[in-house]
Amino acid sequence: MTTTRRSLLAGAALAAGLALTPAFGQSPTEIELFFPVPVDGQLARDMATMIKEFNEGHPAIKVTPVYTGSYDETLIKTRAAMKAGKPPAVSIMSANFLRDLQIENEIQPLDALIKADGKSNDQFMGQFFPALYGNAVLDRSVYGVPFHNSTPLLYINAEHFKEAGLDPENPPKTWAEFAAAAAKLTRREGDRTTRWGIAIPSQYDTGGWLLQALTYSNGGRWFNVDYAGEVYYDEPSTLGALTFWSDLVKSKVLQPGVQQGGAVTTAFLSGQASMMLNSTGSLTFVRGNAKFPLKVAFVPRNLQNQVPIGGASLVIPTGVEGERRQAAWTLINWMTSPEKSGWWSRATGYFAPNMQAYQLPEMKVFLGKNPDAKVAVDQLAYARPWFATYKTVPVRKAIEDELAQVLSGKKSPKEALVAAQKNADEIMKPYVEQTALKLPSN
Amino acid sequence: MADTIMAGQVASAWRPAIRWPRRTTLVAFGLLTPSLVLLALFTYWPIIQLAWQSLHGQQKVGTAPVFTGLKSFAALFADPAFRKALVNNLIYAFGTVLPSLVLALGFALALARSNRINTALRSLFFLPVLLPLVAAASIFLFLFLPNVGLLDYYLGKLALSGPNWLGDPDVALWSIMALTIWKNAGYYMLFFLAGLQSIPADANEAAILDGANPWQRLRYITVPYLKPTIGFVLVIGLTNVVTQVDHVFVLTKGGPADATNMLLFYVYQQAVENYEPGRAAAGSLVMLGLLLALTAASLRTLERSFGEPET
Amino acid sequence: MSVSNREISPKLGYGATLLVAALWAVPFLWMLVAAFNPESTGAGMASLVPAYVPSLANFAEAWGLADFPRYGLNTTIISLGILAVQFVTITLAGYAFARIDFPGRTLCFYLFLLQLMLAPVALIVPNLVTIASLGLYDTLLGVMAPYFASAFGTFLMRQAFRAIPRELEEAALIDGASIWQRIRLIYLPLAKPSLIAFAIVSVTSHWNEFLWPLMVINSPDLRPLTVGLATFTRGAEGAQAWGVIAAGTLIVSAPLILAFALFQRVFVNSFVSSGIK
Repeated sequence: MTTTRRSLLAGAALAAGLALTPAFGQSPTEIELFFPVPVDGQLARDMATMIKEFNEGHPAIKVTPVYTGSYDETLIKTRAAMKAGKPPAVSIMSANFLRDLQIENEIQPLDALIKADGKSNDQFMGQFFPALYGNAVLDRSVYGVPFHNSTPLLYINAEHFKEAGLDPENPPKTWAEFAAAAAKLTRREGDRTTRWGIAIPSQYDTGGWLLQALTYSNGGRWFNVDYAGEVYYDEPSTLGALTFWSDLVKSKVLQPGVQQGGAVTTAFLSGQASMMLNSTGSLTFVRGNAKFPLKVAFVPRNLQNQVPIGGASLVIPTGVEGERRQAAWTLINWMTSPEKSGWWSRATGYFAPNMQAYQLPEMKVFLGKNPDAKVAVDQLAYARPWFATYKTVPVRKAIEDELAQVLSGKKSPKEALVAAQKNADEIMKPYVEQTALKLPSN
Repeated sequence: MADTIMAGQVASAWRPAIRWPRRTTLVAFGLLTPSLVLLALFTYWPIIQLAWQSLHGQQKVGTAPVFTGLKSFAALFADPAFRKALVNNLIYAFGTVLPSLVLALGFALALARSNRINTALRSLFFLPVLLPLVAAASIFLFLFLPNVGLLDYYLGKLALSGPNWLGDPDVALWSIMALTIWKNAGYYMLFFLAGLQSIPADANEAAILDGANPWQRLRYITVPYLKPTIGFVLVIGLTNVVTQVDHVFVLTKGGPADATNMLLFYVYQQAVENYEPGRAAAGSLVMLGLLLALTAASLRTLERSFGEPET
Repeated sequence: MSVSNREISPKLGYGATLLVAALWAVPFLWMLVAAFNPESTGAGMASLVPAYVPSLANFAEAWGLADFPRYGLNTTIISLGILAVQFVTITLAGYAFARIDFPGRTLCFYLFLLQLMLAPVALIVPNLVTIASLGLYDTLLGVMAPYFASAFGTFLMRQAFRAIPRELEEAALIDGASIWQRIRLIYLPLAKPSLIAFAIVSVTSHWNEFLWPLMVINSPDLRPLTVGLATFTRGAEGAQAWGVIAAGTLIVSAPLILAFALFQRVFVNSFVSSGIK
C-alpha cells in the first residue's frame, strides 16, 4: 500500500517536472532540519532517504537535512545558529533538553499550530504513548513532538545463559535474580576476570539515565515531573539503587570505574560480558551484529517495574515564523505519522512514539519476525518521563560525578548522594528562589 | 617575549641600515592592514565581546543580561569543577609538552642524518600529525577499550589485566596524555631537525677534541644552540594542547568525575550545557591569561637555565 | 673512555628511537588490520596479526556512508583557499615586522601573538555571528575567513625575511625597485623553505578541523571530510563499528598521507632549511 502511494507520488512529481513546470514563479519554502545521528552512520543515510521522499511529495517545501554530530553538538549548533540569526526550522533534540530550552525561551510552543489544525493539545498528544507526555508538554503547552524514543532494556547472551545453567527463556526479573545470574555468568582466571556477568554504561548522560531507571525500579521518584527545581537524590530509594549498582562492582561481576556505551556494546557483542543494560536505541545494531542468540527483557525490579523514557523530539526554535514555521509543522507531522514513525523505528530499534504505528500491517510482520522489538513497547506501560530540570545537564552531572566515584571505590553511596543533592540544590537555587520561594511581600 | 621566540641567528642584522622614506609608518600599516582587519574581525572583536559577557549576567531566568561586575569571575573560582579543570590542565600541559619535547629532541638527534631508514622513521613519527584529532581519538578509544581493546587484549595474553583506562578517575587523564604525546611529538621533531642544522659543525668537533662525551656535548653545545627552538616549541606546544580538546569530546567528555576536564572543555560546558555565558566568558579570559603567563614563564625559565638570550 | 662513550651512547639512543618507533606504529598497524577485517565489531578486532581473508567490506561501507569525493574537494578548497590568502597576508605583515621600524611595532607584534593563544572553540559563537552578518553563513568562504590572518605564519615570515641580507634589498632600492618588486623578486624566492614549512602546518591543521566547519556549514554539498567522517565515528548512543571507523579514517587521511609520502623529502628539507628554530 505504502509502496504504491510512494511510487504514485514519485511518478506525479516526475511528470510534473517533465511536462508542467509546476508552481510557476513560486519557489518552494526552504527549511533545514538539524539532526544528530543516534547510533551509527547508516542512519544518516536513512535520514537522507526519508527527507528525499518528503521533498518529492511536497513540491512547495524543500527540506535540507543537516547532519549535526552528536546530541550535544546538535544543541551547540542549534544555539549558535540562533545567535547568528539563522535558526533551523526544525531540530531533533534530546528529549531532556526541552525543559531547559523552554525556560530560556529558545523553542516555541506549538499550541497555535495544533489549534489551527482543529485539534486540542490533548487530542494531538493522544496519538503518542502517554509515557512521552512529560518530556514534550511543559506547563500545559506542547513544546516538542516525540520522534524516536527509547527505554533501557536488559540484553542477554542466551548462549552464555545455557552454558551457566540458566534459562534464557526466563531472564532475571528481580534484582536478586539479576545479581545471582551475574555471579553465575562471570568467569575468572585467578585474579583476572575474563568475562563479566553484567556491563552497565555509566558515562555522562547514560549513567544518570540508568541510575534513574534503577531508582524507579526501587519505587523512587528521582525528580519532580511537575516542577523544574527539585530532585530526589538523597532518598532511600536512590540510596538502594546506587548501593545495588555499587555492590555489583564489589562482588566482581561488574567492572569497576566508568564504562562508556560503546565499550559496553562492544564487550557484549564480543562475548566479554554476558548481560548488559542499554538503550532500545541500540537494538537494531546489536541484533545485526550479535553472533549468538540474543534475548531482551525488562529492566529487573526491586519493588516495581518502572523505567524512564529516552530519545529525542522534534522542536521549532524561537524566531522561526510564517511560511517557514508552517513548512516546519508540515514536516514534523509527516515525520511523526504512523507510517514514517514505524519505518524509522524498524531502522533504528527506537520504538515508534506514535501508537498507530503498531497497527500497521508492515509493523505487525516485523514484530512477528523480531519479537524482541516488542519488549520495549510492552515496557512502555511502565515508563515515566526522563529527567529534566532547570539546567538539566549540570544537575544530572552532579549525580553522575558521584556515581563515577562510587563505581571507582572512592566514596560510599551515602556520602555520594549527600554531595550530589547538595550540588544539585546549589545549581537550581536561582530558579527556586525566583519560583517556589518567591513569596508575596518581602 | 615575542622577540625571544623569534630571535634568530641573524639577530645582528637587526639594525636600521637604510634611510627609509618618511612614509615608512604609513607603508608599514598599509602592509599590516589586511592582517589587522581580519584579526580585528575574528580575534579582537570576539575578545571584547567575551570581556563584555564576563561582566554581565542574567538577573532573572530568561531575561536580558545586566551588568554584574566581577560576579562571574567569583562564581568561576568558587566552582570546584573549574579548579579541578585548572589543575588538570596544568598537569596535562606540562605532562604532555615536556615529554613530547624530550622525545622530539631524541628523535631529531637520532634521525638527523638523512638516509633511507631515517627518512622512513621521520615519516612514521610525523604520521599522527596528519590524522584529524577526532579520528585519532576514535582509534585510541578502541585501544583503551576495557577487556576487548588492543591494550587489554595483549595484557590478557600475558595474563595481566589493565586498569579501566578511561573509566578510572586516577588513570583517565594519563591515558589522554598518552594520545596527545603520540599525536604531537613528531610535529615538534620537525622543528628540532631544523634547529639542529644551525649548529656549526666545528663547535661539535672542537668539543670532541676536548674529550667531551655525548651527554656533555648535548648539555653544553646542542641544547644552548637549540634554545630558541626549544622556546618556540614550548610556546607552540603549550598553546596547542590548551586550545585543542576534540579528543576529550570523543574519549571522556571530561569525566569520570571531572578527572579529565580541562579549561576549554569547561568553557564549552558552561556555555552550552549550563547556560552560563558569563561564566564561560570569564573562563575563556582566564584561559587566555594563563596561556600568556605560561608561555612567558617557560621562556623565562629557559633563559635562566641556559644563560642570557641571544638578542 | 670518551671514545667508547661516543660510540655507545648514540647507538643506545638510536636503539631507543627504534623501540619508540615500533610503539608509534601500533595505532596505524591496528587501523590497517581492522580496516581490512571482514568484520567490524566483536571479538578478534584487537589482534594486530590478521587472522582473516582481507576484505574491502569496511571500506565499501564507509565509502557508502558519505560522499567522500565531494567532501574531499571541499576540504581541498578550504585548505588551499586559506593557504593562498594566508600567503599574501603573512608575507606583507612579515615584511613589515622584519624590515620596517615603525612606532608601535612591539605593541602590534603582541597583538598578533594573541591570535596564537585563542582557541577557536572559545570564539565560535561571536565568530558565527560575524560570519552570518557578512552573509557567509553556510559557505566555504565562511569556514575559511577567520583563518585568513595567521600570527604563526607572520612570525615565520618575519624570521625568514630577517635572515635575508639587507644588501640585496639596498641594491634593489638603488635600482628603483618598488616595495612590491622587492618583496616579490628578492624576499619571496629566498623565503621559499619557510613558505613550504608554513604550508604543511596550515594545511594539516585545516584539513583536520571538525567543530568550526560543523558549525558554519548546513548544506550537505559543502561538508568537509571530517564532518563526513563524524557521521559514523560519533554516533550518540551505544554502538561503534570499529572496522568501519578504521576504514573511514584511512580514507579521510589517505590524501594527506599520500602527499606527505610523495613530497616528504621536500617537506622535511624545507623545515630543515626554513630557519624555524
